[in-house]
Amino acid sequence: MSETAAAHDAPTSTGIDHKKLIMWLFLASDCMFFGTLISTHLLYRKLYPSGFTDAEGHQRFIQNLFNIELTSFSTFILLMSSFLMALAVSAMHKGEIKSFRRNVLGVIFFGLIFLGCQVFEFTHFYHQGLTIQNSVLGSTFYVLTGTHGTHVAIGVLWLILMYFYSFTGKLGGHTGALDVEVAGLYWHFVDIVWIIIFTAVYLVEYLGPNGFWGTGLPAVTK
Amino acid sequence: MSHDSHHAPVASKLELAPERSDLGLIRPDRTTGWTDWLTTVDHKKIGILYGAFAMFYFLVGGVEALAIRTQLIRPDNDFVTARMYNQLFTMHGTTMIFLGVMPLSAAFFNFLVPLQIGARDVAFPRLNAFSLWTFVFGAFVLNASWLFEFAHLAGWLNGFEWHKHLAFTDFAPANGWFSYAPLSGTYGQNGQALRFTGVGTDFWIIGIQVLGIASLAASFNFICTIINMRAKGMTMMRLPVFTWMTLITAILIILAFPAITVALIELMFDRAFGANFFNPSAGGQPILWQHLFWIFGHPEVYILVLPAMGIVSEILPTFSGKALFGYPIIVFSGAVIGFLGFAVWSHHMFTTGLGPVPTAAFALLTMAIAVPTGVKIFNWLGTIWGGRVRFTPPMVLSLGFIWMFMCGGFSGVMHSSAPADSQQQDSYFVIAHFHYVLLGGVLLGLMAGLYFWFPKIFGRMPNAPLAYIASGMVILGFNLAFGPMHYLGLAGMPRRTHTYHAGNGWETWNYVATIGAYILGAGVFLAFANLAWTAFKGKKCASDPWGGRTLEWSLPSPVPEYNFAQAPIVATRDAYFEDKHGGKRIAYENDGGEAGVHMPSQSWMPLVASTGFLFAGFGMPMMAMGVPHAGWIVITGLGVLILGIWLWAVEGPGGYMLKTPAASGSPAPAETAAH
Repeated sequence: MSETAAAHDAPTSTGIDHKKLIMWLFLASDCMFFGTLISTHLLYRKLYPSGFTDAEGHQRFIQNLFNIELTSFSTFILLMSSFLMALAVSAMHKGEIKSFRRNVLGVIFFGLIFLGCQVFEFTHFYHQGLTIQNSVLGSTFYVLTGTHGTHVAIGVLWLILMYFYSFTGKLGGHTGALDVEVAGLYWHFVDIVWIIIFTAVYLVEYLGPNGFWGTGLPAVTK
Repeated sequence: MSHDSHHAPVASKLELAPERSDLGLIRPDRTTGWTDWLTTVDHKKIGILYGAFAMFYFLVGGVEALAIRTQLIRPDNDFVTARMYNQLFTMHGTTMIFLGVMPLSAAFFNFLVPLQIGARDVAFPRLNAFSLWTFVFGAFVLNASWLFEFAHLAGWLNGFEWHKHLAFTDFAPANGWFSYAPLSGTYGQNGQALRFTGVGTDFWIIGIQVLGIASLAASFNFICTIINMRAKGMTMMRLPVFTWMTLITAILIILAFPAITVALIELMFDRAFGANFFNPSAGGQPILWQHLFWIFGHPEVYILVLPAMGIVSEILPTFSGKALFGYPIIVFSGAVIGFLGFAVWSHHMFTTGLGPVPTAAFALLTMAIAVPTGVKIFNWLGTIWGGRVRFTPPMVLSLGFIWMFMCGGFSGVMHSSAPADSQQQDSYFVIAHFHYVLLGGVLLGLMAGLYFWFPKIFGRMPNAPLAYIASGMVILGFNLAFGPMHYLGLAGMPRRTHTYHAGNGWETWNYVATIGAYILGAGVFLAFANLAWTAFKGKKCASDPWGGRTLEWSLPSPVPEYNFAQAPIVATRDAYFEDKHGGKRIAYENDGGEAGVHMPSQSWMPLVASTGFLFAGFGMPMMAMGVPHAGWIVITGLGVLILGIWLWAVEGPGGYMLKTPAASGSPAPAETAAH
């Protein structure tokens, strides 16, 4: 092994690159992380199905609060960002740096739209009377979705840095493709987690006449 | 790769001119002394640093334990106040688990795993350094609470405006090591966040959070290393058992720590931002904390004990002159313990009223987990059976491990019976049980490991007579201290109570236990002092003083920085033993030599990034104290963390080629290359 490059890219025992493997391990750990947060939210939904009390002392139902059309839109945007991420990874594997840049800009843009929707949603919910302090629902909802939003924000930051890094000419070859692919794994995972959160936190509230938890409020009276 | 590939192979890194990163920063690469230790990415040096810090904190935790025992030596004692006592037992437990046992295990992971699998380093050398420094700063934050506490007791804080507004002044954590809500949490409506405890809890929250990050980063790294960097021929079922147990421990860490991470985030939101996760006045359920804590906490028990089991599984075959009895069963049992470890958490909560079905299920699963543990013990006995046993200090400590751990296991099975447990809950019986497991088990196992591998780490042999005396004192003192606690617990003595009245029949055994604790403390101190002396001044010894079985013994002592001059190719389990005495020799790849082996470059960045945690770790509790502008410290910390990670990323892995002594076809020569 007189080639130094050979030492850098020494074959691994499994044939899987270190970076890819460690990202999978991190995602396994992150599964438990989100699993704990989602469990916390669902446990408290089961325990307190009737929503929360706002600052004026009015009982509020979660279906009054949610804007399911908006959240469906932002979910769709996040899904499509995953599609663009896959295109970016594919472009990088083929060495098409310009195509990579275009697609990654798209991912960043869509990620920012998602974050914008979340900021809007949080502001809106806050003005509707749901705060982190006035109810258990507020605590679990904001911390769960906020943690997911933080993951998205970190992903966006990562991709922005990668986008600018690509102009230095150092993002290329096998290593560059691997780095982009690892970022892609992270991005897809964050997307999948949102699909679960969207289902478990938003959609189930609209199941059946009274919502999944039996809130006593018909789901249609929005 | 980048510019770093062009270096010609050198015999020492000091021959090279300092390398500049793309930003023009000089990498701390060709350095010696302090800079070298602060920026090292060598897994062996990182392992030594982990070990040194862990042994220091063992002594800190030991002093706390002795203060507790001194307080309890006689009824109605007033050696420490009740307030101080709470802080002592909380910090004792936290220190021993997170700053003693886990980092000492990590020291072994670091030093041994690459050597045992025939690798030259871990998969991510700089991430490894990051784990180390994050641990160091997390530990420092946790213990800095004592500095505030002493400053408070000395009256130095009285002049500050914020100090006058504090409702509680316990600056060191005082909730017990599992910080049960609602005691650790808040009460009151609409974000009032009134508290039951002082800022010690905030130190605890942020300290454990930072330590968790260190453990997670290290575990990702080690799983990756073990799965991906094995030498040729080193199949999974040829891995040394210690490496196997490291792998299982690391998997447990990455799956169990997220639960405590989330629990700590939730508790932090309760305390700092008035959330209601565990706030009973607003509908929060304190029992959720117990569940989340023990979903982490019970795997944590196996995170503590599995490395020690791995160490003992290396030592017993070496000194019995036999291969480990039932290697696949030992490995499989370890995996089963790891798996079942996630399914027994509620046995810590039998008295909370789970209902008959969950209680029965958790009781049965808890009994079931005793089976793989028992299997291991029988395998160890089978290993010794018929062997030519050499009673060296590591062997004596390992036998002590089996014996003491078994006693702890027996009382553990007693706890698995829910009706019996409801009598034993929160009594000294529980204290006796887990000290037999964690001290008689884990600490003896780790001490055995220290005495076993010290000759490999430093090339020097610890003083044997002193080691025997220390081992005897530890085992004797330990049994004197914790044996009587079984009786005390069954006689009704509650744990976490700063004193007791005369006339309950507890006086004698408390006296005995305290004397035992003094003997134990002196024994541990003697054992560690012996080791510390050995590291610098001990008698030099050969590279394979014990007749070792695994690859690390095929290397010179101390191990050269490149580990293997040529990468080994193994053909069997216990490769080095077979190489010496059996038919299957270790082959070597045709690398190294004049062409050199690739060495990673050193870096400041892991240390810089970790420093961010130091700022955040101080800032969070200071915010809770009401110190003005403390929030800026936290923001600075986050900035430093992000800056460090960014510089780390753009710095690149770097590296250079290091010449190794040519050695084809035989193990590396005993004398090391100049370095």
